Amino acid sequence: MPRGRRRTELLMLAFAVAVVLFAYANVGFGLNGRLPAGLAEYGLAFAAIMLVAHLAVRKLAPFADPLLLPLAALLNGLGIVMIYRLQESGRNGNPGTQISTISASTTAAQVMYSALGVVAFVAVLFFIREVRVLQRYTYTLGAIGLILLAIPAVLPDRFSEIPGTGAKIQIAIGGFTIQPEQFAELALAVFFAGYLVAKRDVLALAGRRFLGVDLPRARDLGPVLIAWGVSLLLLVFESDIGTSALFFGMFVAMMYIATQRTSWLLIGILLFISGAYLASKLFSHVGARFTEWLHPFTSANVFCNPTPAAHCVSSYQLVQGLYGMGVGGILGTGLGHGQPYFTPLVQSDFIMTAFGEELGLTGLMAMLLIFGLLVQRGLRAAVAARDPFSKLLAGGLAFAIALQVFIIVGGVTRLIPLTGITTPFLSQGGSSLLTTWALVALLMRVSDTARRPAPQPIQDEGMTQVVRAG
Amino acid sequence: MNRALFRLSLACLVMFVLLLVNINYVQGFEASSLAGKPGNARTFDQQFQYQRGSIVADGTGGPVTIADSQPVKGSNSTSGNAIYQRHYLHGAMYAPITGYDTVYGATGIESAYNKYLAGTSPSLAVHNLISLLTGKAKQGATVNLTVSPKAQEAAYNALRSDGGHQAAVVALNPSTGAILAMASYPSYNPNLLTTFDGAKLNKIDKQLLADPSQPLLNRAINQTYPPGSSFKIITSAAGFSTGKVAGPQATIAAPQPLKLPNGNTLNNDADEDCFGGHPQVIQAFLLSCNTAFANIGIKVGGPTLRSYANKFGWNDSTLTIPMQVSPSAIPPITDKSLTAMSSIGQLDDQVTPLQEAMDAAAIANHGKLMRPYLLQSVQAPDLTTLASPTPSVLSQAVSSQVASEIGSMMVQVTQNPNGTAYQTAGPPAVGSSLVIAGKTGTAENTVSGAGLDDAVFTCYAPANNPQIAVGVIVKGGGFGADAAAPIAVKIIEAYLGVH
Repeated sequence: MPRGRRRTELLMLAFAVAVVLFAYANVGFGLNGRLPAGLAEYGLAFAAIMLVAHLAVRKLAPFADPLLLPLAALLNGLGIVMIYRLQESGRNGNPGTQISTISASTTAAQVMYSALGVVAFVAVLFFIREVRVLQRYTYTLGAIGLILLAIPAVLPDRFSEIPGTGAKIQIAIGGFTIQPEQFAELALAVFFAGYLVAKRDVLALAGRRFLGVDLPRARDLGPVLIAWGVSLLLLVFESDIGTSALFFGMFVAMMYIATQRTSWLLIGILLFISGAYLASKLFSHVGARFTEWLHPFTSANVFCNPTPAAHCVSSYQLVQGLYGMGVGGILGTGLGHGQPYFTPLVQSDFIMTAFGEELGLTGLMAMLLIFGLLVQRGLRAAVAARDPFSKLLAGGLAFAIALQVFIIVGGVTRLIPLTGITTPFLSQGGSSLLTTWALVALLMRVSDTARRPAPQPIQDEGMTQVVRAG
Repeated sequence: MNRALFRLSLACLVMFVLLLVNINYVQGFEASSLAGKPGNARTFDQQFQYQRGSIVADGTGGPVTIADSQPVKGSNSTSGNAIYQRHYLHGAMYAPITGYDTVYGATGIESAYNKYLAGTSPSLAVHNLISLLTGKAKQGATVNLTVSPKAQEAAYNALRSDGGHQAAVVALNPSTGAILAMASYPSYNPNLLTTFDGAKLNKIDKQLLADPSQPLLNRAINQTYPPGSSFKIITSAAGFSTGKVAGPQATIAAPQPLKLPNGNTLNNDADEDCFGGHPQVIQAFLLSCNTAFANIGIKVGGPTLRSYANKFGWNDSTLTIPMQVSPSAIPPITDKSLTAMSSIGQLDDQVTPLQEAMDAAAIANHGKLMRPYLLQSVQAPDLTTLASPTPSVLSQAVSSQVASEIGSMMVQVTQNPNGTAYQTAGPPAVGSSLVIAGKTGTAENTVSGAGLDDAVFTCYAPANNPQIAVGVIVKGGGFGADAAAPIAVKIIEAYLGVH
């Protein structure tokens, strides 16, 4: 019986939980020299949630990659720690300024979202025993994905716009908001995988060869053009550049995996660049992103009215994030010692700059490596998978994490123009957390299926061969 | 499909490597330039969490600390450490030099050498790292200035006791350009601005800005006045250097009045008859006859006169000490009548007290004008020297020969009983052992509400071995000899230690 390596997972998970608890205690010491209130409650809750996840994996996916869950837990936990640190800024007699966009119960909510995320994780493992079965729902999920994407665009602004940002990506009812596009990511990934598995042979057909590249036939360009069009619509009607780039990038990557044709990659990149260029010329808010990226320190771009914070749509936020990272330097100020509250909405898109400020270059590199490891384990699952659908889905999802981290971290560190998008596992908010946990569950399911030992044929007298159900 | 997945994982690797390289750049290399960006609230807030470097007057009579940071009792910053508050130990006296460092911004030396004082200079990176590793608190570097406490004290007290006129003075070491004193009156107490209370700071700032006597203005370098007759030094330099005037002993026509080509007339100050209308240049200089120098100006011509002024540092808008110096201006003119006016320091001529000191310093230093500067050295917290600029030449204003000729004329101004400054800067005032070489200026100033002229005095001493050059301007002070010269004398006596 091959080993499932669940003990390794438990050990690593315990280590991840310990790191998170130490970080949490560190916040308290950093802020006011005391152990933080709720260390026992939050700590036990977090440890319990992760233990549930581990037990579920033991039961439901015993052969899954042992590293994925601990990595996810570590990132999720560090996110909670940072959100707690930001919540405490200026509250309960702690130094710093209160962040108006964070309430006193934000951390509790984030812990609850984490619990929901793990519920989603367990549910995915429970209901989807083979990723392949999803292939049956290819077009259903495609339709669901598109509807989820479209809802905010057709809703009135007051329900769908994130205040002050112009991005129409949420549904706000009462005090509760969800971002449907987060869930659309998974639905669309399944749709892309199912569609491409079915059509890969046609798409892989060469048209003519040009400059050493096999160009596809013109009539096969349809799907990629449709995906491009949808992402442009997303951009135009919801002002959501980041998600638009993420979905299109995921689609092109999956198309490449399916066909192995470099031409699709080139066509995709060309379409993306031309789309981005067109958008920057046609829509002032897209063009502004470029200007802010190139000249963030120009006074006209930096100085906006910092109160209320949400009204800073210029490079003020970007520059504050960079200042924070600069202050952090190599080793960081230490948790609780920095001033991340200067950066507007630091708890969502800019949370990595808060880590850069307080944990320094060292901490930020470590966190990027954790993300890198997560992506690598995902791609490994894809390579190990035996059926093309699972390969495509796992490869696409793993690449999506990498691309999402690249878009947001690259954006806040001024490597590329800034586009608002959540940081997987870290940013405050439930929709993203739920989706990412479900995504990790899918990767683990693929990995479990791939690593599960092949069914042993029972050698009988040769009359019949019974295959033990797997 | 695995081949494509492999390539895709390479693409992921590239993305992560790009991110890693970029954050290394931002947090490793760009950090110090980010820290220095104006409007960086983090460094601004941080700068009060550790001890900012002191500013020290390190010239003759020093070292005397003029600004330092001390922990406020019972205070707590965001990091839980004590908050340091800035103290200006001599208040208004050094304010034009130190400037101030507030929670909103800084001026003067506090601003110009902020990178040393705040410890953000790249040259302090290693020191900061060592402090970090040894657990010592970060500390800014000490900035030592060339200012002589003896001269500065004399300068400020002389201005203050002068009867409330707006006035400013600069003293230079002629052979190096080191600024020995720089005072402006009325001044302000920078300690008023070190409060951490933003609202209070705003109120005080508004009050100071609204004050009609403009206490925040550093008149020594940022306010210009008409130079009056003190400009005759430049006119003489142009005359002698071009050969249009043979030398101090050459005779020059000095009619009273001088008829200008445009039909106007130009008078001597007291309409006096200047040695019968045919004085030697040296005689015209010591009496300060306007018509003689108007004639020299006409002979030399406007553009040439201006080019010699430029050699003394006039019309230079790039000069910094390190604070930006307002340029002293001679307008470009070719018209003879206007040139005549300009060559006696009237018309649109404008000069800073610093430029007056530079004029005298160039003459004192054999015609070689040294670049004025304030920074003596920068000392890291562990007492290693980080920067100590060497004096540099700004220009060769005139030849050594011409400089000694003009010097001899300036000596006559104080030593000849007829000289304009004989009573106030000559033997009756300072005795016979100290010889000051100087030139008075009394500028007709129509703007001056009191009706009195602006008083100007530029000089250096001792005449045979110049150690200090001084430029004084007293707005509405009256005669240069009466109002400005005594101030210069007090500074010179204090600096040289003679009485």
